[in-house]
Amino acid sequence: MQAWYHCENVYPFVPQEVLDRADSVRASLPNKYCDPGIAANLFAECLDEHLLCDDLGVNVVSIEHHSGINSLYGASPMILGILARQTKKVRILSLGTLITIRPDPVRIAEEYATADVISKGRLEIGFVKSGDSEMVSGNANPVGYVDRFWEAIDLIQKTLTSHDGPFSWEGKYFTHRHVNIWPPVYQRPHPPMWAATGDPETSAELGRRGMVNALVLRGPEASKRAFDTYRDARREAGLPAPGTDRFAYAALCYVGETDEEGLQVGSKTLWFLNTSLKQSPQMSKFLPGRMPPEAAAQNYRTVPRPGSQANLRPGQSLIGITAEQAIARGILCAGSPDTVYRQIMDIYEKVGGFGHFIFIGRSGFLDHQEAEKGIKLLAKEVLPRLPAATPTPAAEPARAAE
Amino acid sequence: MALGNGNGERLTVRGIELEAVRRGAGRPILLLHGFQTVNPTTPFLELLAHHGEVVAPSGPGFGHSPRPKDFDTVYDLVHLYLELLDTLPDDKVTLLGFSFGGWLAAEVAVACSHRLDKLVLVDPLGIKVSDRETPDILDIFNKSPDEVRRKSWHDPDRFAPDFNQMSDEALVTYARNREALCLYAWHPYMYNPQLPRWLGRIKVPTLLLWGESDGVVTPDYGRAYSRLIPGSQFELIDCAGHHPEIEQPEIFIERVAGFLKQ
Repeated sequence: MQAWYHCENVYPFVPQEVLDRADSVRASLPNKYCDPGIAANLFAECLDEHLLCDDLGVNVVSIEHHSGINSLYGASPMILGILARQTKKVRILSLGTLITIRPDPVRIAEEYATADVISKGRLEIGFVKSGDSEMVSGNANPVGYVDRFWEAIDLIQKTLTSHDGPFSWEGKYFTHRHVNIWPPVYQRPHPPMWAATGDPETSAELGRRGMVNALVLRGPEASKRAFDTYRDARREAGLPAPGTDRFAYAALCYVGETDEEGLQVGSKTLWFLNTSLKQSPQMSKFLPGRMPPEAAAQNYRTVPRPGSQANLRPGQSLIGITAEQAIARGILCAGSPDTVYRQIMDIYEKVGGFGHFIFIGRSGFLDHQEAEKGIKLLAKEVLPRLPAATPTPAAEPARAAE
Repeated sequence: MALGNGNGERLTVRGIELEAVRRGAGRPILLLHGFQTVNPTTPFLELLAHHGEVVAPSGPGFGHSPRPKDFDTVYDLVHLYLELLDTLPDDKVTLLGFSFGGWLAAEVAVACSHRLDKLVLVDPLGIKVSDRETPDILDIFNKSPDEVRRKSWHDPDRFAPDFNQMSDEALVTYARNREALCLYAWHPYMYNPQLPRWLGRIKVPTLLLWGESDGVVTPDYGRAYSRLIPGSQFELIDCAGHHPEIEQPEIFIERVAGFLKQ
């Protein structure tokens, strides 16, 4: 199995009373609450953690979130470029530049190709659909974002695989009449592609395309549903059954020397759920296009009708969760190496296997030293015991360009 | 397209099916709704029906009107309503637009003045008048629901929708209207940068009615709008926000009726 270190470079140092008073900790919180000196240290620490991963054979994830305490990695391609140069061995997954809020996918493809070349073919390209508040901070229409997502992927893929001079693209959402990027990608036909989603329709399409389906903080039940949908879609399309190398599971995770240490330090990552997800209603339940209008029947009311259940977006149901609940729901793996191994394998069995374990190993007030200790213990004591990924037949292997 | 008889609850325009509210008889009054579709039981509708045959279609994606694939721009909406005008049997039609529908009505009037006898714009959107760092139109998607509520109504406690009291069906329609509006008008937000240049083409008598307390688009925005339409009248309605037809239906109708008689 491949392990992937995922760090969002959060900024937890805003006074709690400011956060309590704010209606959203994303998109609207003034950046005067972010000290650039502290931010500089955080960048240095988080990038060093990625370099430690490189030494230990743990792959790294380069994420992107905008304008909030939940992440300082807004300018994701810059971070990707640093990782491409400074790491030497491991794979680098961009998960990912927010393609639904960027106006020109060709430019994104250019950035990806550059990172692939700098890293000499170690890039993997993951697509995410963006968070609700990011439609606002990214000035992107939230209505129709799924169709825009797929057209952006198609255009990026076409850009990365075209090598014979300019082509023209006049799609519904994007037009670019003269596409011919330099340098081209290092890996051929293109770097492996992923997407993070638990939405069944998207998982099915990932299956047909053979892209890796990552589930981030969705728990085993939702992940199994997505993976089953993926398998079904491939079967219905007459494609070979996927190996576990097409499936990725992401959880908050901390390995300590003992259960007590693992749980105590790992619980700090729950800050991500309990503090950093707070979004104003206009950037969540009232934002058009993100939930079907039918969900309004319950979501718009402040006093729900008896017997009704709010139809929340996945992240919202995690706010206020305890460490025990998070472990029970497969959102958090924390404890000694043996315990974490058992927790991961329990999830593995429940979902029918996965070839990639993405561990969110630092969040909230979990500090740099603690993060590095957790990474080392996971790399040395847990990762070697996890089952190898099974390959997907006829999946096009990436190879270096001549 | 035929308006048909009786209540005429569906219209078909160039193969596009529209839900429509119809009331009254006489001079044709085409009513283009604002952020929300016209509630068939709203008091101003009956009052307006004393002055003509009111037809109020719900735009594609709004209310119960389906939205055809790739029908997703203000350009589509404007041409849909131009087509609707073309197919009306009457020589001249009175065009009335609220808010977002006021924008559409202004666009239609720019393109097709000769088919109109009167134009009434009620707190219309559609133009930009201030500098690049001063938004003219309240961002009803990005601003807090409390602020939007406060700025939309003179008396929000009495008139703003209460989601806890609304039926499931009404809430779904409300959300569907917001989704359609967002699709059409997210960017540029609720205006056409080119429109001010062409408003001078409007050659019919035009009345701009404005809620004095409107905080979505202020009366000053309305005055600027009016200056761009040659010969237009601008009138305020007291004790009303962005929806004077709902907060002050009698006064609203009095003003409209007076203008139609001129």
